[in-house]
Amino acid sequence: MGELAICRYCDTVHRRADVSVRATARCVRCGSPLYHGNADLSAMLAVALTATIAFVIANAFPLMTMSVNGRQTEATLWGAIVASYDQELPLVAAALTISLIVAPLIEIVLLLSVLVPLRAGARPLGFSWIMRAIHIMRPWRMVEVFLLGVVVAVVKLMGLASTVPGWGSFGVIVMTFALATLGSFDPVALWRRADEVRA
Amino acid sequence: MTRAIEIGLVACESCELVMRAADPITGTCPRCGERIDRRKPNSLGRPLAFLIAAAALYVPANTLPIMVTEQFPLHRTDTILSGIAFLWSEGSWLLAALVFSASVLVPMLKLAAMGVLLFTSARRSSWRPRGRTKLYRVLETVGHWSMLDVMVVALLAAVVQLGRFASIEPGPALIPFAGVVLMTMLASASFDPRAIWDHVGPRSVHERE
Ligand SMILES: [Zn+2]
Ligand SMILES: [Zn+2]
Repeated sequence: MGELAICRYCDTVHRRADVSVRATARCVRCGSPLYHGNADLSAMLAVALTATIAFVIANAFPLMTMSVNGRQTEATLWGAIVASYDQELPLVAAALTISLIVAPLIEIVLLLSVLVPLRAGARPLGFSWIMRAIHIMRPWRMVEVFLLGVVVAVVKLMGLASTVPGWGSFGVIVMTFALATLGSFDPVALWRRADEVRA
Repeated sequence: MTRAIEIGLVACESCELVMRAADPITGTCPRCGERIDRRKPNSLGRPLAFLIAAAALYVPANTLPIMVTEQFPLHRTDTILSGIAFLWSEGSWLLAALVFSASVLVPMLKLAAMGVLLFTSARRSSWRPRGRTKLYRVLETVGHWSMLDVMVVALLAAVVQLGRFASIEPGPALIPFAGVVLMTMLASASFDPRAIWDHVGPRSVHERE
């Protein structure tokens, strides 16, 4: 019954058909997206590698630099988390750590650990466990919200002092788009590929 | 248009494998090991509990200070609303509108929309199922955008650290605020949208739109 797809919104059964890349199959009954046509393993691997580099840039470089009377201060991603921790808001610091560092990092690393062996024609170690972990982690990453947060913070500070966005922001932009692309990947294509490899 | 529940099929929530299953379902997915269920467990009670928690946290989130600004000799304590009003008075209308949407409007609409979904499902309503499904999908996508203000405040606090001449500190409202976001996300995640369609009947959707 591999060729069936069940709408997770209304429970209607569909026969799976091939859709072109970047196209989305929709449920005939409720109009919700059923699956995406995004199933090119090599393209996926390239995007995952891009996301890895973007993650490093976003974490290693300042997101913005503010200068007042010759004094400069910088905000890094980690600095923003530490700032809320220092104000005795450890829960907020934890929420930010999970949504901005842990969740995206785990998603990227897990995807790479699946994509690299599959591309090489081997079944990845712990494949089903990894696929479930990606499924569970995904809702908790909030990189795209953080991107908007950086924009708002920079604009807010412009009135107070001269503020310029840094390379870290560039990393956040690239990571946002890379993760959005990875999120639209059809997991069924990965499962199909893994089953072929095992066979 | 056949529904999976009518012909004894079920899809794994994690790997989307479609399988035949007899009631009551007690197993795990043969392919990935995920627990198999026809419907999410207690799909009205759990979201209702999260919804009530979110509504309760909404009050301190909006009344406690979210940000303390020192800009010598000025000392400002802002709640979410006063911060938006300040942005507006400074002429940053677009920014004020953006923060207002993400921080005030979205959580409020989420609470209201979740309430509507739970109420209609509890009453086994067949009213506009397509529209309600769409509403649920919107809830799923906008869910985490309310974290915007929490992130802005954390960023500002990280960069504006010039002692008493200029510093920004996050306020205690951040905790209930992040709590509202978390609770509404859990509420929509524990609701089962298939419940919307379980009482619609086999008639064509278009007759009901
Ligand atoms: Zn559907
Ligand atoms: Zn499964």
